[in-house]
Amino acid sequence: MEEEALNSHNKTRTIEEINQKIRKGDAQVLAAEEMKRLVESSGVEVAFKEVDVVTTGTFGAMCSSGAIINLGHSDPPIKIDNAWINGVPICHPGAAVDLYIGATAMSAAQPYEYGGGHVIEDLVNGKEVELKAQAYGTDCYPRTQLNTRLTKNDLNQFYLLNFRNCYQHYNCAVNSRDETIYTYMGKLLPRMKNATYSGAGELNPLMNDPDYETIGIGTRIFLGGGQGYVIGEGTQHEACSQNGTLMVRGDAKKMNTEFLRGATFTRYGTTLYIGLGIPIPILNEGLVKKTAIRDEEIFTNVVDYGVPRRDRPKLAKVNYKELKSGSVTVGERKIRVSSLSSLKTARKVASTLKDWIDRGEFFLSAPVERLPLDSKFKPMKQTEATSFVANVMQAAVTCTENEDVSAIAKRIVTKSVNHIVVVDEQGKLSGIVTSWDLTRALAEGKTGLTDIVSRRVFTAKPDEPLETASKRMAQHKISALPVIDNSRKVLGIVTSEDISKLMGK
Amino acid sequence: MNTLTRILLKFSEKIVEQPIISKVILELKMPLNIITANINSKSGEVLLEVPEEELNTVIKAFRKKGVTVSLPKLIEVDCEKCINCGSCVTLCPVEAITLTEDSSIIFDKEKCLGSTCSACVDACPARAIKSVKQGSADVSAKPH
Repeated sequence: MEEEALNSHNKTRTIEEINQKIRKGDAQVLAAEEMKRLVESSGVEVAFKEVDVVTTGTFGAMCSSGAIINLGHSDPPIKIDNAWINGVPICHPGAAVDLYIGATAMSAAQPYEYGGGHVIEDLVNGKEVELKAQAYGTDCYPRTQLNTRLTKNDLNQFYLLNFRNCYQHYNCAVNSRDETIYTYMGKLLPRMKNATYSGAGELNPLMNDPDYETIGIGTRIFLGGGQGYVIGEGTQHEACSQNGTLMVRGDAKKMNTEFLRGATFTRYGTTLYIGLGIPIPILNEGLVKKTAIRDEEIFTNVVDYGVPRRDRPKLAKVNYKELKSGSVTVGERKIRVSSLSSLKTARKVASTLKDWIDRGEFFLSAPVERLPLDSKFKPMKQTEATSFVANVMQAAVTCTENEDVSAIAKRIVTKSVNHIVVVDEQGKLSGIVTSWDLTRALAEGKTGLTDIVSRRVFTAKPDEPLETASKRMAQHKISALPVIDNSRKVLGIVTSEDISKLMGK
Repeated sequence: MNTLTRILLKFSEKIVEQPIISKVILELKMPLNIITANINSKSGEVLLEVPEEELNTVIKAFRKKGVTVSLPKLIEVDCEKCINCGSCVTLCPVEAITLTEDSSIIFDKEKCLGSTCSACVDACPARAIKSVKQGSADVSAKPH
């Protein structure tokens, strides 16, 4: 009775009070989307009175994840040096029989198709996996070879131990190149024909507590269908730019594959999809306002993944409401967009967590330490210079559409080049002619440029790393790329010869 | 309405420049619906929709003219594996894959172009999308 009186007068409540209500079965719990509707219809004051906890959730690919396992000792014992589970290389970060299964490690036999994420899923699913290990052998650990089959029940510990999960929000990706690219943001069609994004927006745990008032070290969470804990800020955590992340741990033996799935991104690699949910205790009206955040208030950048650089061009700012609507506007263009993370499963995470609390199976925990609010995500310190196309490109020898073959042949000889770039009146790229094309023209008796010019030209951008330009040449079996700007104006040419010269230095 | 079946025509370099489809249409006096066509100077691949009861007549007519005819593979979605992420949605050129109100993936087999397109197949992180031979197993498995 005393407690109730306290609540009705005070503008705050404590986690202990909420836990008592959970124990009695009368805590008021809303899933994030329900909370937003309530605050919108009834206001902050009413919502504070009526709601004790708001549950959040997200379900997406989280590459910086993995599981720590302890195998127990074999007889004779082994101090593992190299290990593989189902052909996937496994880290051996500690002593004899502790292994870390990284989500992105790939099987040598099925690269890109089966990896650490799938091993974790198989173990969680109760499947038997095959372990192979090698060691150098010591006096105390004489064994050098090991082959065995295990399920999760044979392991002493099997904990998900993820060093960066639950990104507060993430980029929306497009590709400006002329070719399809395969990235960790999925398959991106050429010339920005599609866009992808990741994240649950208004359902994201960190978006509902952006000042890390209740989420800190020791916060009990939903992780992969089981219970886990926040053990710190995630790597690359930067709360001040809404790029917060979490480091988390949870008992994988109690997880289930509805909320934990191995996955594959073609030509990028394997990963792990994880469901992560956090209950936000509504301790004050400030937290009511924070948990009322809507998709239209959460912004992210449309980023050009066609540029293979650390700082990729940001083309537009969009909000999560637009993202979830299926199309975004970049400049004048409408681009179809779809998610890589599942909103459906994110909702299921939030509603499952709500059910657990309603049934008295999940209690809230106060953080024992706050997460940093002022940490910065710095770029790498590099001590070696990197070469870009601009560093090696040369002036292009060009011709116009109406020149004839003999004039071009002469230019190839006098300038001693193998490639002539065809440009229009504005200096924009319209084709390429090689010395080989001229030889063919001679053999076939052709005299017009239009008969021999190649219209499908592979190009490079000046700020592109030399390595990617070089790869493109090898991939298409060509020896030069005209360098163009965004309006296709020809800036120069980069040839495999110039690149070899640089590498030979 | 007549049931329509899709067949895949493959034209070799030798015959790719001939107006074979027009000839067959005139010969059989039958409308044939071209769904997709991928033709260059070296080869051609055309996905055609024909009335089911005329299937054998049409196939015969094309084969007589040197065209390789086969039943295209269909795209199948394994709902057990699908994680409803949405990676496939924007890759579909005919909007055969859509999201429902509750963000579930819906796959419309009727609209799907089949293996001649396959744009979604390698984009599925759960590897839930496969191309399968027609007539094998039950390919009509619906997500719901």
